[in-house]
Amino acid sequence: MNVTYNWLKEFVDFRETPEELAELLTMLGLEVESMEKLGEGLDDVVVALVEEKRQHPNADKLSLCRVNNGKEVLDVVCGAQNFKQGDTVALAQIGALLPGEFKIKRSKIRGEESCGMLCSDKELGLADESAGIIVLPPAIAPLGTPVFAALGLKDTLLEIGLTPNRSDCLSALGIARDIAAKLDLKLNYPHNHVVEGSERTDSIIGVTIENPDLCPRYAARYISGCMISSSPDWLVKRLNAIGIRSINNVVDVTNLIMMELGQPLHAFDCRQLSGNRIVVRSAKEDEQFVTLDNQQRVLTSTDLVICDAERPVALAGIMGGLNSEIENTTTTILLESAFFKPSAIRKTAKRLGLHTESSHRFERGIDIDGVGRALDRAASMIVELAGGVMAQGCLDVYPGKVDRVAITFRPEKANELIGIDLERNVIIDILTRLNCVVAPGEDDASVKVIPPHYRIDIEREIDLIEEIARLNGYDKIPATMPVARVVSDRPTRHQEIEKQVRDLLVNNGMTEIINFSFTSSEAAGKLLLEADDPRRIAIKLANPLVDEQSVMRTILLPGLLETTAKNMNFRSLDLKLFEIRRIYLPVEGESMPREPLCIVGAVTGSRDGDGWSRPDEQVDFYDAKGIVETVLDFLDIGGVSWVTENPESYFHPGKACRIFAGRECIGSVGELHPTVQKNFEIEKPVYCFELDFEKLVKLSRTKKTITAPSRFPDSTRDIAMLIPEELAAVKIVECIRSEKSKEIEHVQIFDVYRGKGVPEGLKSVAVRIRYRSFERTLADEEISALHSKIISRLITSLQVTVR
Amino acid sequence: MREQLEQLRNGALQAIASASTIEQLQDIRISLLGRKGELTALMKGLGSLTSEERPVVGQLVNAIRDELESSLGAAIESAQEKVIAARLQSERVDTSLPGRRPLKGTKHPVSLVIEEVSSIFAGLGFAVAEGPEIEHDWYNFEALNFPPEHPARDMQDTFFVENNLLLRTHTSPVQIRTMLKKKPPIRIIAPGTVYRCDSDATHSPMFHQIEGLMVDTKVTFGDLKGILTVFTNQLFGQKTGVRLRPSYFPFTEPSAEVDIACVICGGKGCRVCKNSGWLEILGAGMVDPEVYRHVQYDADNISGFAFGMGIERIAMLKYGISDMRLLFENDVRFLRQF
Repeated sequence: MNVTYNWLKEFVDFRETPEELAELLTMLGLEVESMEKLGEGLDDVVVALVEEKRQHPNADKLSLCRVNNGKEVLDVVCGAQNFKQGDTVALAQIGALLPGEFKIKRSKIRGEESCGMLCSDKELGLADESAGIIVLPPAIAPLGTPVFAALGLKDTLLEIGLTPNRSDCLSALGIARDIAAKLDLKLNYPHNHVVEGSERTDSIIGVTIENPDLCPRYAARYISGCMISSSPDWLVKRLNAIGIRSINNVVDVTNLIMMELGQPLHAFDCRQLSGNRIVVRSAKEDEQFVTLDNQQRVLTSTDLVICDAERPVALAGIMGGLNSEIENTTTTILLESAFFKPSAIRKTAKRLGLHTESSHRFERGIDIDGVGRALDRAASMIVELAGGVMAQGCLDVYPGKVDRVAITFRPEKANELIGIDLERNVIIDILTRLNCVVAPGEDDASVKVIPPHYRIDIEREIDLIEEIARLNGYDKIPATMPVARVVSDRPTRHQEIEKQVRDLLVNNGMTEIINFSFTSSEAAGKLLLEADDPRRIAIKLANPLVDEQSVMRTILLPGLLETTAKNMNFRSLDLKLFEIRRIYLPVEGESMPREPLCIVGAVTGSRDGDGWSRPDEQVDFYDAKGIVETVLDFLDIGGVSWVTENPESYFHPGKACRIFAGRECIGSVGELHPTVQKNFEIEKPVYCFELDFEKLVKLSRTKKTITAPSRFPDSTRDIAMLIPEELAAVKIVECIRSEKSKEIEHVQIFDVYRGKGVPEGLKSVAVRIRYRSFERTLADEEISALHSKIISRLITSLQVTVR
Repeated sequence: MREQLEQLRNGALQAIASASTIEQLQDIRISLLGRKGELTALMKGLGSLTSEERPVVGQLVNAIRDELESSLGAAIESAQEKVIAARLQSERVDTSLPGRRPLKGTKHPVSLVIEEVSSIFAGLGFAVAEGPEIEHDWYNFEALNFPPEHPARDMQDTFFVENNLLLRTHTSPVQIRTMLKKKPPIRIIAPGTVYRCDSDATHSPMFHQIEGLMVDTKVTFGDLKGILTVFTNQLFGQKTGVRLRPSYFPFTEPSAEVDIACVICGGKGCRVCKNSGWLEILGAGMVDPEVYRHVQYDADNISGFAFGMGIERIAMLKYGISDMRLLFENDVRFLRQF
C-alpha cells in the first residue's frame, strides 16, 4: 500500500516528521518497507520570473532570457517556445542535480552564456512527456522558493507492507485512522458536497441482487451530461505519487477514491447498458465474457457477475467488461459501489489468475458501512471535474445488513496474557480510540465491545487483546522469563545417534552436503535401477518448479553424484562427501509416506588430499568400506558381513557388496558402475556407500562389555600363504578364529600381494597372529604347537599353500 | 697368574680406550666378562691355587673386574653421548612442510546453525521434536487457523502432492502434532526442512526452519519477549538489540515480527538492513485460541507462545553470505570454510 505523508496529514494533524511517522507505523504493525522523498535534492530548482525574453542572435529556435530568482537576475538560454516575458517558471540553478544524474553547469550555448535551465515536467521527473517548460501560476510563491515546495509536491512516499488481516488499511483513510488512534488525535473525514439534480435515480435504473449471499450490498449513482477529459494536474500528480497512471477524469476519480477510502468503484458507460437494469447474479457455467484487458474469460457458476438486462458487463469486484468501459465519448455514467463476499472474489480471482487492486481489497474484506460514503464522494468529484448532473438519490440495495456482534472482553485477561498492568480505564480508552463501542458487561470483570465494521479482523476477545498490546506498544511490554514446570526430555536415541554419526563422519574427513529433497524422474534410470525396483515408485509433485525437481527422492545417491560431478567441474577432484537426510517412500495402503533417514557418502581422488608425502595414493574401495566400518564399530553393530552376491545395479559388480548385520541388509558399498559414472558425467572413479540410518539405530548396541587387558607378554607369529584369487581373504581369518583358542588374541591380514613370484590365479596373503594368555606367560613350545595346528587347519580346510 | 692378570688388564684397558662404537665395547665386555670371557675363565681357574694364594689373587681378580666394568661403563656412556651428539648434529626436519594431518571434514552451515540454536534452547529446557515433511493440509494449514481459501495461504506458495498432501510450508505443523500427543507443560523446538515454490537469490524452494512452542499455565507475551531476547543475545552477542513489532500469523495472536539490531552495521543503517538498522529474523506470537481448539486444549486455563525462524537467514547473517543459493550448491570450496 502506497501513501504519502502529506496525504495522511490531510486526515490527521500529527506533528511527527516523515521518519518518526515511519517508525510509528512500523511499530503499529503497518510496516514501512521503504520511504522515498519526492523532490529530494531538487531544492536548487526554484521559482523565478522571466523579466526579459529575446531572440538568440545565433539560433532561430533559442531565446535569451533574463531570469530573476529573487536574489539576482541571470542570463539563461532556453529552447522552449511555450512561455513569454513576465511568466513565472522553474529555474534549475547552477549546481542543481536533476533526475537521471543530470547536473546543471554554467555553459555557453551558441556563443551566449547560460547560467541555468528552465525546466519541463519531464526534466523534473514529474511526467513521462512534456510539451514545453513549466509555466507556474503567477505569484505562486516568492521568487527563489524551491519549486517542489511551491507546488506542494515536497512529500514523502511511504510504501507499507500490509499483513493480510489489515484490509482496513488498504487506504489512506485506514492508515490515518490508526495514526489518529495511536496518537489520540481527531480524524478529519473528507467532506462531500453532494449536489443532485431533480431526476430520480430509481426512475432511470433499477438494481436487482439475485445472490445477496455473495453481494450483500450494491449501491449506484447515475450521472448524465458529463464530459470525459484528462484529469487536472493535482489529481494526476497525486496518482503519480502513489504509482498509478492517469487515464481520464472519471476513471482517475474512481482510482483516487479507492486509494483514499479503500472502496473499489466501477464506472459503466450507460450507453452500453441495455434495459435500464443492473442484475447481480452468479455466472452461468461456461459463460463467456471479455474483460477490460481484452481477455476472453470462461466463467463458472461460482463466479459473480454484474449484468445489464441481457448480459454481463462486469466480473464483480475484479474487473469491468470491455463492452461497457468508459470512452472519450461517454456522457452518462453509472457509478457502482458495492460489497462482495471475500471468499467468492478470491476464488474467482485465483482461478482466473486475475489480481487487481479491486479484487485485492474485496477478497480481504472492505468496510460495508463505507459503501455509500465512497460513492457520494466519487460522484461529487466526478461532477466537479467532468461536469454533468447527478440524479437524485443513491440506489442502495442492502439486503445483507447485519449488526456486528458484541464481544465479551475481560480487561484483566488482556493484562495477564500480555504481561502488563494497565488500568481498566486506559484499556477502555484504547478501544474507544479504535472506534469500538464499549458497554458494561454481564459482570464486573468484563465489558461488551462492538468493533467498527471496517475492522473485520476483530471478532474475538483475543483480537481485542492484540489491539491493546499493539496500541499500547510492544516496546512497553517488559521482557520476563516464564515461570515453568520442569520437564525431563533428553534427546531421543535417534536424534543422539544422528548427531554422533554426523560428528564421526566429519571427524573422518568427510564434508557434509545438503541437496534438495526433490529430484528428476530420470534419476532412477541413470542409476540403472531394475524396472521393478521399488525405488522407481516416487511421490510426484503436482506443481514442480522445474522437471529436475519433480519427484521426491527415494534414494540419496543421485544428489550426491550430481554434487560430485559439479565439484569435479570446478577441479575439486579430491572429494569426501556425505549426506544424512530423509528419503520419501510411498507406503502401500497408507496415505502418508515413510520418511526414513539415510546416509550416503562418496570418496574419490587422492587419499592424502593436498598433502606432500604420499601424493600418488588414490582412494579405492577400501577407503569407502573403512568409513562404513568406523561407523558400524562406533555404533557397536555386531554380526556384520559383506556380501558380494547380487550387488546394487549402480555399482561395479566386481567391486561392491551389500552390508548385512545378521540377516538384515543395512546398506551397500562399492565402486560406482562405469555407466552410471558416465550418466552423471563424473570424470573419475567414485567409491560410494549407503546406510539405512533407521536400521543402524535399531541395531546399535547401547551397552558395551569391557574386559580388563591381560598382564602377560604376547608373542606374534606370521604366516604367508598362497590362496586362489576367488577365495575371500576373510575366510582365512574365520578359519583361524574357528580354532576357538582363548590364546589367539588378535588376527590381522597385513599383506595381500599379486604379481612377481606368485602364480597366475593366486594371491599371496600374509597373516599375523598375536598369542597371549590371560593366565600365564605362554611357553615357546606351547605357542609353536598351537601355531602348527592352525597352519594344518588352513591347509586342510582351505587348501592354502604356506610359503 | 698375577702377571697374566696384569697383562689382561692392560690389554683390556687399551682395547676399551681404542674402541670407537658401542658395539665394539659390548663385544669387549662379552670377551672379558661374559660367560665364556677371559676374566671369567681366569676366575674359574682360582680353584687350582693354594689356599694362601686364593684370597689374594681373588681380590686382585675382583679389583680388575670392577675396574674394567666401570671403565667399560664409562666408555659406553660416553660413546652413547657421542652417538646422541652426532644425531643431534646431523638430523633435521624441514619444519616448514605441512604436517601429515588427518583430513578434517566440515558440517553443512545449516546443520551448524541447527545445532547451535538447539543447544541454546536445550539450555532453556526445550526438547527437540520432529514431524513429517510430506504433510496433510489439515496439519499444515487448517489446524493452524488457515481456513481453505484464506488470503493468508497466499503468504506461502505450496507444493502439492496427491491425496490432499503437500510439502509442509513451515515447521508449524509440528506444533499441532506435539500438542495432539501430549498435554501441557510443553516446551519444544522443531528444526526441519520446509518447501515453498519460489526460487531466486533470497528464496530457495527448499529451506529450513526452527519452530518453537511453549505452553503452560501462565505464559505471557512478556515471557516470549524474554525468551527471544535471551536467545538472540546468545546467538548474536550479548548486546544485540531486539525489538518486537506487531505482525500477523493466523496461528498466533498477538503476533510479532522480531527484529535484531543489524549485525552488519550495528544499527546505523546499511545495504543489508535496507538502512533501517534492523534485521527481521523471527516470527512469533501467543498461540491462537483457535489452534488450542483444534488440539482440544482448554484455551481458558493455559497460555503459550510459538515462534519460527529461517535457518538459512540466520546462517547468512552469521557468516556474511549474500546469496542463499550458495548454501545448496554444495561447492566444497564453500563448504570447507565452515
